[in-house]
Amino acid sequence: MATDEQQFDDGLMQKQEPPRESRIGARPKAAQVPNAVLSALGVFIVLALWVGITSSGLLKPGYFPGPLELYRELVVLVKDGYRESSLWSHIGISLFRTGVGFTLGVLVGVPLGLLTGISRVSGAMISPIMAFLRPIPPIAFIPMAVLYFGLGEAGKIVLIFWTSFNYVYVNAQAGAAHVPIAYLRAARSLGLTQRQLFFRVVLPAATPQIFTGLKVAMALSWAVVVAAELTGAQSGLGYMIADAALIFRIPVVFLGIAIIGAIGLLLNTALNFAESRFVHWKGR
Amino acid sequence: MHTSPVNKIWPVSSAISFQKVGKRYAGARDKSTETVAVDDFNLEIAPSEIFCIVGPTGCGKSTALNLIAGFESPTSGHVLVEGQEVHDPGMDRAVVFQHPSLFPWMTVLENVTLGLACRGAPRDEYEPRARKLLAAVGLKGFESHYPYQLSGGMQQRVQIARALIGQPRVLLMDEPFGALDYQTRLLMQRLLLDLWQEFRPTIFFITHDVGEAIFISDRVVVMTRRPGRVKLMIDVKEPKPRNYAFLTSPEFVRLQGTLLEAVQQEVESGAVAESH
Repeated sequence: MATDEQQFDDGLMQKQEPPRESRIGARPKAAQVPNAVLSALGVFIVLALWVGITSSGLLKPGYFPGPLELYRELVVLVKDGYRESSLWSHIGISLFRTGVGFTLGVLVGVPLGLLTGISRVSGAMISPIMAFLRPIPPIAFIPMAVLYFGLGEAGKIVLIFWTSFNYVYVNAQAGAAHVPIAYLRAARSLGLTQRQLFFRVVLPAATPQIFTGLKVAMALSWAVVVAAELTGAQSGLGYMIADAALIFRIPVVFLGIAIIGAIGLLLNTALNFAESRFVHWKGR
Repeated sequence: MHTSPVNKIWPVSSAISFQKVGKRYAGARDKSTETVAVDDFNLEIAPSEIFCIVGPTGCGKSTALNLIAGFESPTSGHVLVEGQEVHDPGMDRAVVFQHPSLFPWMTVLENVTLGLACRGAPRDEYEPRARKLLAAVGLKGFESHYPYQLSGGMQQRVQIARALIGQPRVLLMDEPFGALDYQTRLLMQRLLLDLWQEFRPTIFFITHDVGEAIFISDRVVVMTRRPGRVKLMIDVKEPKPRNYAFLTSPEFVRLQGTLLEAVQQEVESGAVAESH
């Protein structure tokens, strides 16, 4: 899990790191360029390279759109939608599939993970099964999901449910199983009942790890919904980019990719924000 | 279980009593790596006594504390607190841990009152008591802080307040000031003695620091290396309340010399044993 955590925890880690200049510590403050200016400069350089390459004539026309072309296509896409559906409904249906699957995964995964984390019997029974199933890439189940549930919503939601359940479950389980023994002993010395021990100590102690699971699960759910829409769907962002590539509307493909990226970033930011509110003690 | 016959043999005059206590830990792989933490361990601690154990790492002092606290059970023999055999942890034996075990998701006040709140005590009864106790340990104004906003010494004060609020008969302290700097440690030792004057609990205190042991204790025991036995027991006759002048008195220095020698012997014998 460590690599997953690092991978999806970047936003949080950056906040805790001291600013770059304090680590070097030599330059006087007045001489420093603010981070926001440096970030803007980075974006500007990428944009300039992009414009330079697309207008140089080196690339085959139509394969790699420039920024202006993308903007014109975006205006059309927002106004006319894509294939009888508005852009918003494509975004909406992708978010709907992710939201329903993810929520179901959390509602089942967190309680089951906590239970197997605190109970030796259920942990021993369930953990090996999950350990086998978890490493299987969720997209490997797409053909069976289509076969069992067809091309409708059910198959995609089941797939998202399964994806998020896996990661929410394993993190909730680890969180509940690794509550520091000093917490448990302190609680027992204070005379807490089993029920109080669970709700006042085990659950809050497991919350940071549960959040790690939520973030991994959210990122993967979003990835899987797009993958599922690529192969068998009549709507959604994944369908839009796959279909646009077939009919060679390349700017739409790139816009779709950019929208998928922006929404993924937004979802992660929202979870980071929720985490900083709920788990204010993390890392301190 | 064995409570009634044991009670008849051993009068309730001791606050804490170890009777032929043995504690073995199973090896990680097989029986041959089994560890004997304590063996045939006997000890009587009087009510309201401040009793201190010093000894090298791995002499079974933490095991002794865990047995009194009820975190672990003896393999043989009996551990009694006020005449009752220990089976489970309980609020009559409060524990102060070396590493802060405050719950980081609770404020200082919530940490201190958790035990009483969970036992269904009325809030308007325990909250003023908690505030008074926090003031007594010098934390007035920090009730709404979270543990991570406090220094190590302050966190240990919260732990002490949390331990004392249930008015325990026995206070178990496992190197509570070990992680603090010297000045803070002296302050905490004084604070502990002050609190003892007020509440008079029996205190079972574990430390590496021989000076700390002499300063606060009525009795100090040096334990041998595994299996832990009593190597040396001394009485500290200095009357309480004590002040810092005691730290430089000839009596203190003499006791310190005696104890240091005994502890050092154990540490060195261990070093020799391990080099073979």
